[in-house]
Amino acid sequence: MKAESKKSLEDRMLLEKLREILLERDREELQEVKRLLNDPVEVSKRVSPIFDEKLRYLKDNFPREFGTMVDETIDKRLKSSQEELLNIIYPVLGQMIRKFVSQQFQMLKDSIDYQVKNTFSSRGILGRFRAKLFGVKDSDLMLGELDAPIVQEVYVIQRYSGLLMGSYSKTETIDQDLIAGMLTAIKSFVEDAFQKEREELEMIQYGSFKIIIQNYYKYYIAVAISGSLKERDRDELSEKILTFAQNKLKKDIEFITGEVVESISTELKAFFEEDGTNLSN
Amino acid sequence: MISKKVILTGSFGVGKTSLFNQFVYNRFSDKYLTTIGVKVNKKVIEVKGEELSILLWDIAGEVSQDKVPVSYFLGASGVIYVFDLTRPTTFKNIERDIEYLKGLLPNGVTKIVGNKCDLVTPEQITELRKEIEIPFDITTSAKTGENVNELFLKLGEELI
Repeated sequence: MKAESKKSLEDRMLLEKLREILLERDREELQEVKRLLNDPVEVSKRVSPIFDEKLRYLKDNFPREFGTMVDETIDKRLKSSQEELLNIIYPVLGQMIRKFVSQQFQMLKDSIDYQVKNTFSSRGILGRFRAKLFGVKDSDLMLGELDAPIVQEVYVIQRYSGLLMGSYSKTETIDQDLIAGMLTAIKSFVEDAFQKEREELEMIQYGSFKIIIQNYYKYYIAVAISGSLKERDRDELSEKILTFAQNKLKKDIEFITGEVVESISTELKAFFEEDGTNLSN
Repeated sequence: MISKKVILTGSFGVGKTSLFNQFVYNRFSDKYLTTIGVKVNKKVIEVKGEELSILLWDIAGEVSQDKVPVSYFLGASGVIYVFDLTRPTTFKNIERDIEYLKGLLPNGVTKIVGNKCDLVTPEQITELRKEIEIPFDITTSAKTGENVNELFLKLGEELI
């Protein structure tokens, strides 16, 4: 048993010796590779040319290799963050559009000026005469006609409750009771927040739309107008509303019933349609 | 049809908007979104064979009622004062608040409502009735819809 174990030990030692002889060169090479890998200068010297070549290849072939993938990614990203993008783009676009519109308006004005100056029709002559007489530019006169103020909606609303007493609208709108309620809430808020003695909200403007508010003791009348409203038109509208209030809203209305709303709405329709909703006429 | 303005008021987070949504749209959401300013909505109900259009003003919650613009309350025929049955801070000033509201609307109908009754037991409600200085009219749950329509029907009957 002992002789056998001694033999095995000798074999193993011989094998180890043989391994050392055979692998000595490999070990030396491995040490050299390790040294090179741990030396950044050496690594860079060997790797950089490969990277440079790959980068050159990518530069030349990027659209072909990755174009579709990039397109798809951008497409997905655009779809998933439309709102974010709009938030970023909107102000820039807004400015561009404003610039474009003002440029177009200037072009339109120039073109109208040119047309007016070259028109000998009675209307043209009269228009120019009016323009000269009142010191108004020809273009402003014609643009004014294009952008005439038109009454779109009228609401008679109980002063504090915000309950709708009657309404007239040229087009279908959302629930008019809600409009009356929210309008009153806004009016109340503004008047409360910026408390000034006996001062009341008289106008709300958004874009080219204006809501003119005329206040009375127990109710107020709100008129929504599109187009450009000049001081003269506003005075005319005030007169018109006052006439309506004096003639049609004489009764002291305490309780608002369906009949009251219907009756005032009919009066409003008749009054504004008969008298015309275009304020510049 | 008769139209009446009704105010929903009370501290923040008591469930005014949830009551409003449950009554107007029959829906409830667990998400809490604080009301900014005021929200107006309408619902037509039938009371004693007559149609009543309720213009409901859901006013943003304030701890102190006198911080709400006075003009919001003017012209209202009814007030629903809501408190949270699970939060004592929402009913600790109830007496003062109701007095203030009655001063603003001497002829208005006022309903005091304990909301979130789904979160308390009947025994706890009995205890609260003893604890709260002013008797409340009804307990509701905007979440389950319990007593919500009953509240508005009762109010409607008194408004007509």
